[in-house]
Amino acid sequence: MRSFSDYNPIAVTVWFFSVTGIAMFSSYPLIMLMSLLGGAAFFILRSGLSRGKEHLFFWGLFLILALANPLISHNGKTVLFVMDHNPVTLEAALYGLNSAAMIVGVLYWFRSFTQIMTSEKLLYITGALSPKLSLILSMALRFVPLFSRQSAKINSAQKAMGLYKDDNIIDDIKGKSRGFSILVTWALENGIITADSMEARGFGTHRRTQLRRFGFRAADIALLAASLVLLGIAAAAAGSGSLDFSFYPTISAEAPDKLGKAGLIAYGALIMLPIIIETEVSLRWKFLRSGI
Amino acid sequence: MLLIGNNKLRNVIKITVPFAVIPAIAILGALAFDEKKHIIISLAAAVFSLLLFAAGFEKKSTGTRRLVIAAVMTAMCFAGRFIPFLKPVAALTIITALYLGGEAGFLVGALSAVLSNFYFGQGPWTAFQMLAWGLIGFLAGIFSEKLLKSRILLLLYGALTGIAYSFIMDIWTVLWYNQGFDIKLYLAALVSAVPYTVSYAVSNVLFLFLLAKPFGEKLGRIKIKYGV
Repeated sequence: MRSFSDYNPIAVTVWFFSVTGIAMFSSYPLIMLMSLLGGAAFFILRSGLSRGKEHLFFWGLFLILALANPLISHNGKTVLFVMDHNPVTLEAALYGLNSAAMIVGVLYWFRSFTQIMTSEKLLYITGALSPKLSLILSMALRFVPLFSRQSAKINSAQKAMGLYKDDNIIDDIKGKSRGFSILVTWALENGIITADSMEARGFGTHRRTQLRRFGFRAADIALLAASLVLLGIAAAAAGSGSLDFSFYPTISAEAPDKLGKAGLIAYGALIMLPIIIETEVSLRWKFLRSGI
Repeated sequence: MLLIGNNKLRNVIKITVPFAVIPAIAILGALAFDEKKHIIISLAAAVFSLLLFAAGFEKKSTGTRRLVIAAVMTAMCFAGRFIPFLKPVAALTIITALYLGGEAGFLVGALSAVLSNFYFGQGPWTAFQMLAWGLIGFLAGIFSEKLLKSRILLLLYGALTGIAYSFIMDIWTVLWYNQGFDIKLYLAALVSAVPYTVSYAVSNVLFLFLLAKPFGEKLGRIKIKYGV
C-alpha cells in the first residue's frame, strides 16, 4: 500500500510524460479539457486547497492566454465584432481558449510533478541515464547550501578583521565583492580537494550506489505497463488523425471514429490512474483503521 | 564511432550530430508534416540532442576534478539565478566555457537550467532552456581563443547571446501557444518580451564585464596549479 508519489520514479516519470505529451501533441478540445481538469484536480488532491495564490496565477494566465489569440489572430469566418478595424472572430477566440487550456493544464501537471520528483528521485533517474551527470547534479545541489554557510563564515571573519563598513555604499560593495571573490576561490579549491578525496576512496572504480533504493515491485511494473499501453492507444488515435480538430477557417469536427473514442477513453484512464491509486490507498487505510 | 580512426573527424561528428544534424532533421520534419506537429518535433529534437550529448559525455573519461569544477560552476549559476532582474547564468556559463572548454560550458549551462527550474518552475520549456544555455556555453568554448584575446568581442558575444536566447525562447513560446509557427504571433511575442531581452543582454554584458577577469584568474590558477 503506497501512495502514488512513492512508486518507482521511472514509472511515475513515464506516466507523467505520457499525460503531458498527449496534451501537447493533440489539439482536440475534449483532451485539453480532460488534461486541464485532471491537472487541477490532481494538484488539489495532493496539496489541498491551501495554494490559493498558485491557482490564482494559473487562472489569471489562462485568461490572458485565452484573450490574446483573438486580439492578434484574425483568421476565421465568423466575425463577432470589429475592434480598431480588426475583426475579432469566434474561431480565433475558441482557438485561444483551447490553447490556454492546454498550456495551463500542462503547467498544473508540471507543478505536481515538481512536488513529487524530489532531488533524490531526480538523481535516481539521471543516474540510470548517466551516472556522471547525476554526480554533477547531486554535487551542485549540495554546494548551494554549503556556499551560503561558507559565505556567512567569510563575512564574520571579515567583520572580525575590521574590514566591513556598512554605512558607506562604496565600502559595502567593495567588501561584498571581496567576500564573493574569497568564496569563489575557496569553492574551487574545496572542489579540487573533494575530487581528490573521492578518487582516493575509489570513485569511478565501481558502480555508483544510491542513498535510497527504489526497487521495481509488481505495482510499479503494473503502473508502467498501464501507462505505456494507454499512451500507445491515445498516441495512435491522436497521430492517425482520428482526433483531428480544425478551427480555421470554420470549426469542423466529425464525431470521433472507433479509434478516436478508444483514444479519448485511454487518455481519461491515464489521467485517472494516480487518482485511483490515491483513493484506493485512503479507502484501504480507513478500512484497516476501522478494524482496530 | 569506433570505426572512424581519425580523431579529428570523430570529434567533428560528435559535435555536428547533436547540434547540426538533429536541428536539420527537426526543420525538415516540420516542413514534411503539417504545422500542428511542429511543437512535438521541436521538443523531440531538443530532448534527443540533449540525450546524445549525455551519452557521449558518459563514454568519455573525464577527470574527477573537472567534474567537480563543473559542479561548482553549476551551483554558482543556480545561486545566481536568485538575483532579481539580472541573471548571471549565461555569463558564468560563458566564463566556464572559455577556460574549461565547450563541453564543460554546455554541461554547466544545461545542468543549471534543470536544477534551477526545480525552484523557478519546470515545464516543457526546460529542454529548450537547457539547449539554449548549453549552446551559448558550447559556442563560447569554440571561439574561446578569440574571445579571450579581446574583451570587446567577449562583451559583444554576451550581448548577442542574450538577445539570441530570448529569440529562441520566444520561438518556443509561439510553438507552444499556437502549435504551429506563426510569424505574427512571433513578432508579438518578441515585442512583449523586450524587457526580458534587454535584461538578458544587459546582465550578460554586466556580469561578463565584472566577473570575466577575476573568475578567469581563479579558473586559470586552478588549471595551472592542479592541471584540471
